[in-house]
Amino acid sequence: MKKCLVLLENNQPNLPLELLEVAHRIFEKSSVFTVGLPLDSQIASSAEYFDVLVHAEGSQIPAYDTANIALIAAKLHEEYGFDCIIVPATNYGRMVAPRLAMRLDVGLVADVTGLEQVNGQLEMIRPAYSGKLFAGIVKKGMGPLMMTIRPGVFPAATNPFKTTQHRVFPFQRKSSGITFIGSREKPATKDIRDSEVLISGGGGVLEHFSRLQDLSEALRGQVSASRRIVDSGVASRKIQVGQSGKTVSPRLYIALGIYGSVQHMEGLKNVQHLISVNIDPLAPICSLADVVVVGDAVDFIDQLLKRIQR
Amino acid sequence: MKIVCLIKFVPDVEEDSTNRILNPDDACALAYALMIKRRNPETIIEVVTMAPRTVMGHLEDLLRLNVDLATLISDKAFGGSDTWATTRILARYLQQTNYDVILTGTHSVDGDTAQVPSQLAEICDLPQMSNILAIEAGSFLAGKPEIEVDNDSSIQTFQVELPAILSVHKDSSYKLPYVAYQDLNRDVSSQVRVLTNLELGFLPEEVGLEGSKTQVNRTFVQKWSKEEKLIVQNDEDGIETVYGYLKKNGFLL
Repeated sequence: MKKCLVLLENNQPNLPLELLEVAHRIFEKSSVFTVGLPLDSQIASSAEYFDVLVHAEGSQIPAYDTANIALIAAKLHEEYGFDCIIVPATNYGRMVAPRLAMRLDVGLVADVTGLEQVNGQLEMIRPAYSGKLFAGIVKKGMGPLMMTIRPGVFPAATNPFKTTQHRVFPFQRKSSGITFIGSREKPATKDIRDSEVLISGGGGVLEHFSRLQDLSEALRGQVSASRRIVDSGVASRKIQVGQSGKTVSPRLYIALGIYGSVQHMEGLKNVQHLISVNIDPLAPICSLADVVVVGDAVDFIDQLLKRIQR
Repeated sequence: MKIVCLIKFVPDVEEDSTNRILNPDDACALAYALMIKRRNPETIIEVVTMAPRTVMGHLEDLLRLNVDLATLISDKAFGGSDTWATTRILARYLQQTNYDVILTGTHSVDGDTAQVPSQLAEICDLPQMSNILAIEAGSFLAGKPEIEVDNDSSIQTFQVELPAILSVHKDSSYKLPYVAYQDLNRDVSSQVRVLTNLELGFLPEEVGLEGSKTQVNRTFVQKWSKEEKLIVQNDEDGIETVYGYLKKNGFLL
């Protein structure tokens, strides 16, 4: 039997199942004993999928106290001797995992998007160097496999319910040096990950990005953007699709003047219908498209809107 | 106050060239340090980078911006180090250096693992925070910086005790100034120090490819393709095809 530690973050309902799916893919044939450690203390719905769910004793440890969370995880590893540690690539998960990796002296692979067995060794696949390539990375040396996984990359599989043992872990929290002062919501825009239809713009519509709004209204969708647009300051990072933005799975994705870097394509998972409008039919994103329209994307918006309104 | 800015020169991914540029997040961190130095000229800024010696020209440009000292950690033995080995190399230097705070970026545009700052914090036993959008200057100068952190749907505010590692995000929009005209050709060579493994003293098997805990097994180009594809022109027929496709699949009533 293989043992696996999974770190959890509260505000991501599907994440526990996604990360458990990763554990089962790593150890295909073996049964996996799973221990869950929430990054913040309240965790409800995911409980019944784990063998053990750990709660630190005494004061709640907030997610931003990454040093103490790494310390608890390290103590758990001392006890259980995990074969694998899976951490969500959320803001705080990405700060906890490196600390834990140093504490355990093991290699850590960030943002894993695929897993493959090559010559009896597990390759962790991730987009690599300047984003033109994918790299298959293997672990060297002793200790558990360790990786971070972005939400939405591995589809959640159904998992059998388990009788979860809730375990209170004795722990003396050390000073973190970080004091929480307050929090404010960012202006509410609907999350692009929740949208069935995304009208997405890239460098080809940089000068006319606001025009995408009309088409998104006609198709009852939302506007999203490539990194090029976001880096130019034309749109907020919240609507960025791709490796440094969000991973989306809409039913319809209309890519307007988007080139399709590897990082951008990584943000597209299980898109059912993809229409690419580009002056270059050989742009990488066109290879992923169901329909390729060769031409100017801004002109396309005008023409299609006219046709819809007819 | 002594600020160490931990920086990295990266390929210019946007321009798709072999030119190296200062990593955008790191540029924001350095820009903040320079802004602090303008407010309090007694501030000392040291930039630290691990890189081949070919970045020397870039480092000299930073020194002409009013950075006091540049430390270039450079040795063939360090080439191929993963983040685990890189962190250990940087930590060995930082542990013998004085500083009040380490400012750096959150992500690098090449590796984009965002691991090194948090890993350094762990071995140097320091608080660390990533995705910083703002550092309030008054509290920073008073040694108790108040920071604003991007946490996806919210912005959180924290106070951090120094010394600490603060990882700035480029959405902070701190901008590097230009080199002043009279400084364009200023000789800054005396302000650069190169450290090799002679000074840091790692065994060959502790660093580089051999000393790494992860290894790139292979790289490959992903093949993306759809079997059945409609290719149309952006004309009346093409628009009609798209319209029909949207209608057929239920996106238009």
